[in-house]
Order: sequence, then C-alpha cells, then structure tokens
Amino acid sequence: MLRNLRELYQYRALLWSLTLRELKARYRGSVLGFLWTFLNPTLLMVAYALVFGVFMKNETKNYVFFLFIGLLPWTFFSSSVGMGASAISDRRDLLTKVRFPPQVLPATVILTNLCNYLLSLPLMFALGIYFGTLPSWHIVAYPLILAIQILFTLALVYFVSAVNVAFRDLQHILSNILTFWFFVTPVLYAASSIPPRFREVIMLVNPMAAVMISYQAVFYDHRLPPAGPLILVAVESVVFLWLAALVFDHRREDFAELV
Amino acid sequence: MDAIVIQDVSKHFRKSTVQRHHTTFKTELIRWVRRERRPQPQNFIQSLNGVTLRIPQGSTTGLIGRNGAGKSTLLKLISGIYSPTSGKVEVNGRISALLDLGAGFHPDFSGRENILINGIILGMSRSEIRARMQTIIDFSELRDFIDEPVRTYSSGMYMRLAFSVATHVDPDILLIDEILAVGDEHFSRKSRAKMNEFKSRGKTIVLVTHDLNTVQTWCDFAAWIDGGRIRSVGNPKDIVDQYKQAVELGEAQPASPPPANAPAPTGLGSPEPAFEVKSPPSDANGRMALQLRHVQLLDHRGREAKTLNPNDGLEVIADFETGEDLTDVGFSIRIASSDGVHVYGTSSFAEPIELPKPLPRSGTLRFTIERLGLAQGTYSIEIGAQTRAGITYDSASALSFCIASSSQETGMVMLPHHWLVVHRDRSTSHVQPMTAP
Repeated sequence: MLRNLRELYQYRALLWSLTLRELKARYRGSVLGFLWTFLNPTLLMVAYALVFGVFMKNETKNYVFFLFIGLLPWTFFSSSVGMGASAISDRRDLLTKVRFPPQVLPATVILTNLCNYLLSLPLMFALGIYFGTLPSWHIVAYPLILAIQILFTLALVYFVSAVNVAFRDLQHILSNILTFWFFVTPVLYAASSIPPRFREVIMLVNPMAAVMISYQAVFYDHRLPPAGPLILVAVESVVFLWLAALVFDHRREDFAELV
Repeated sequence: MDAIVIQDVSKHFRKSTVQRHHTTFKTELIRWVRRERRPQPQNFIQSLNGVTLRIPQGSTTGLIGRNGAGKSTLLKLISGIYSPTSGKVEVNGRISALLDLGAGFHPDFSGRENILINGIILGMSRSEIRARMQTIIDFSELRDFIDEPVRTYSSGMYMRLAFSVATHVDPDILLIDEILAVGDEHFSRKSRAKMNEFKSRGKTIVLVTHDLNTVQTWCDFAAWIDGGRIRSVGNPKDIVDQYKQAVELGEAQPASPPPANAPAPTGLGSPEPAFEVKSPPSDANGRMALQLRHVQLLDHRGREAKTLNPNDGLEVIADFETGEDLTDVGFSIRIASSDGVHVYGTSSFAEPIELPKPLPRSGTLRFTIERLGLAQGTYSIEIGAQTRAGITYDSASALSFCIASSSQETGMVMLPHHWLVVHRDRSTSHVQPMTAP
C-alpha cells in the first residue's frame, strides 16, 4: 500500500495534469464553460428545494441546507466510484502505449470529483447564510472527515477499477448498488429517523453513514462529530485501502493486456 | 555496458482474452453452475518464447520479422507496458517509447496544451516542457495552428506534433515502432536527421521496422524474430539477407536442423544455437572456408561501371579463395533498386549451372550481363557464395551503379521492344518499323 501511494506521489505532476485536463475538458466548447461547475449543483439545489421545501414539506428545520450538507459529499463519493469503475478499462489509449503507474488513473477520477466538490462548497455556505447559520468553530473537524472519506473512496475505487478490467459487468452492477447505497445512507434524512434496531447495523456496515452524520454534525448541528463511528470508519478505510492496494497491485501487470 | 538485457523472456497471452475480449460475470456464473473447470493452460497464445538479447549502450538495433512474429510485443516488454510471463528484462536508463504517437492527446485541446500533457505522460517534468516548448513547436512547424484544437489538424499535422513531443523527451533509450515515415518528404528527412542526432549523442535506439533498407544503412545490429523466437542476431547486412532469403523461400518456421559445425555466436546476444541456421561455415582457423575479394563492376569497355545506359551490358568480377576443396558451393547474384526492391536474382543452383568440382582453390568469377534493360535509377548488386542449403560462405554488396536515360519511359525495366503501325489496306510488307529519331 505504501509503495502504491509513494508512486502516486512521484507521479503527482501527471496526476495533476490529467485532473486539470478532465476539469477543463468537461466544459470545453460549451458557451458557459467553467461556470457549469457552479451551475450544475445550483440547478440541483433548486430542484431539491422545490420538491422537499415546497411540495413535500419536511419537519426538519432548514431542510434544504441539511440536504445539501450530505448531498454534495455523496455526489463526490458516488460519481468517483461510478466513473472510477471504468477508470482503467476505458483508458486503453494510455495504458498500452506508455509506462506509468496505473493507480494514477483512478486517483485522477477522485481528484477531479474532489475539485468539483470543493468548488461547490461556497454554494453550500451561501445557502447556510441564507438560512441564517454561519459555520461555527467545529469546522476544524471538517478536513479530517473529508480525509477519511477520500481514503475510503480511494480504497473502493482501487478495488472496483482493478476488478472491472476483467469483469466489465461490475460497472453496471455498481450503478444499481450506488442507488441502493444512497437510500441506506443518512443523506435525505437524519440518522435519528432510522429505527434504532436498524441504526446500529447501518452505522456498522455502511462507512458512508458515519461520514455523513459527521458532516451534518459539523455544519448543521454545530457540534463535534461522534468520535467512535468516525474512528471505526478511519480504521476500516485504512484496512480496506491496504487490501484494495494488494488487489490492485496484484492485477496491475495484466491491465495493459486486458483493456 | 548493456542498455537492455533480455534474459530468456517468454510472453503468453490468454486466448480467451483474444476470442471474447474479456470474461463477464454471466460466463463465470454459467461455468460455475455447470461446474466446468477453468480453461486449461493450452488456451495460451505464445507470443515470445525464450528470447535472450543484449543490447549494448549507444547502439542502434533493428528488429525485423514478419507480422505477428512478436517484435512489438518485445518492444512493449522492454518499455515495461507488458511484464514477461517468465524471464527477466533489465533496462538501464530513461526510456522513451514511440510505440504509437500522440498518447493521451485530447482532440478539444490546443496543440500547446497537448504538448504539455503528452510530455508529462511521456515522463518530462512541467519545467522541462516549458523550457522546450518553443523548440517543440518550431520542430513541428505548426506555427499558428499550435493554438487551434487538435481535432482540426490534418493527420499529417497531428503526427508531426506527436513526433515532435516524443523526440524531445531526451531519453537514454529510444524505442521506435515503425514511425519514421512521418509527414511529407521534408518532415520525414527532418525526423531522420533528429534520429541521427540521437545516434551521434550515444543514445541507444531499438527500432522495429519493415523497411529493410533502414536497417541496413542505419543499424549497428539487427535481430530477426520469427515465431516468437530470435532466429538470428548480428550484422544488419547478414541478417537482412537471411531474412530476405527466408521470405523468398516462403518459409515460416526454421526448416532444417542446424549444421553441426555452427560456430558459437559472436557479438551481442546468445541466441540458442538452433536459430543460427545460416551461420557461415568456417575452417579450423575460424576463417571462412571461401572468401570473396576484390569484387568489381565493369562496363563493356572494361572500365569501372558507374553510370550506364539501359542498353549497356555489365560484368561482375570477383576473385575468390577457398581454404579447402569445396564441392558444395554455388554463386548468387542479386540486383536491387535503391528502395530495396528486388529486381533480379539468380544463382548457379537456380539455373542450374555446373561449376567445376571441386572449385579451384583460387580463381575469378565473371558474371556477364549482355544488356541490363533497367529503367533510370540507382541499383545495387550483391554477390554471394553459398552451399546448396543456402548457408552463406561470403558475400559482397556495397556495389552500386546508376542507369541514366534520356527517354521518358517509366517502370523498373526497359523491355526490348519496337513499335509498328499497320495500314489496314496494304500488306505489311510496306510498313517501316518506327524508330527513335
């Protein structure tokens, strides 16, 4: 795992260039260009605000803000995993022509989505100010939560991108899993609304649940995230990353032949 | 010191990856339900089989062989894109592989942006690229187009840009797969000059090509790969000859067992003796059993033939010496045009011509062509002495002559001919043959 990450660091120039290219390429040729990076979440926000703020009145206070605290990092997670599945298998053009560590490709997907997520954060803060909540000092915990989420995402993307090279069905299965996953993660609802007998199970088996309630704790409830579940997720993520890196490094020699 | 050491390298590809491209859950599931075993190991395609090759630093090596012989696989193994199934590949130095140009080019990005990304993919640092950006742009000759999106480029412009980036990476080892013919005549000459610069700066170059002329004029060594094995390694001239001979004979696999007196391979590489089929037989002192010396081309007046008329004759004269009484020996002549096209070839076995048996210990061979009948151009002649099985004793090839003609005829040969117009009303007896003024 350490060798894998060290290589990633050595090739940071390539990683960063590919990420910049992805970011630029996405809206290249469109009239509004880079503005779309902000426009997309804004339009999403308007739609959610309409549905959950006007049509389906929810008793949660400032529900749209609450929703967005979880929805933005979830989008970061789900699009990283969704796009990450084909990160290796779609890059035949690079893998069969040049020698470079293949983990750069899944890492590029995550970094690209991370940039998009970070760029949408001002929007979330603006929404908070609109609802009259300024971020409190508890925000110091935010980088840690984000780091844990990135670690877990990296592990998962390593795993699915390596497996998808040989089993192309995975990317299709994955989009279904992600939809299901979204609904068993407290994004649309607070964790407190899950019946207690399910709550324990979900917090235990779904690492994203602990991450999400941590975000909500920091930004919505203005308190420090619960330490127990977060530490558990951190440990799980490191172990999972170690396993995923093992799988990835075991399979990497075959990538150039199978893509 | 060796830049590249390839030790007994084999490479297999799983056949299922070729047939069905990849397995899916469905096929795995069906196999599991039916309790079938995984495919047996005979479902492998053996692309390379026990290849051993050492490429010295600063040398230029040409890899030749038929399509599918494993040349490109070998390059990919050297570059590290593939890893060998067994054996070891050792590389000393920074490597740049021109396997396919324009890796990672994005059509919507400008030439300049693509230089940056492509350069980083090829292993340059950001500052290195910035420093060389102008040189790369100048070399590509794209001028104003450099800030246009690459999708608007013609294929020639695309290749020029890609080639410019790739050759400015400044590697220690350059791997080239059949790309020297980039762009128009002008750019192609320029890229050759660039390659020569690499060569003179002591870089190691490994080249896969079907252009045998390039191999002969440009490489220090050649390796002939056939059916995933190294058939022979050595002097480009000899290897190209063997290869051409084999292609002419249409043989796909090593046909005959090696001669018992095959010498130990010299120079680079230590290919298995089984592939030293065409090694020259030598006497006890290690000298070749027959040597050609003082080979010359003479015109009909007995002067050295340089520039000739299509109707002129030509005489090839070669003195030979043998170290022992030889009976299994014949001479061959080959004429090729400047672009390597085989124009004519014959041998004393092919016609057949009876040579004195045994051959005199020392003597002169005169091969007389009454009328060349070749079109305008430069031709090279090669003379060789072989056994009946095709094992070369000695050969000489650096002989060339020019054909100059004032007529506008085209093609490769000047067929002996005359023109006739027949008047329909009269008998042919009145017709005059038409001749040139």
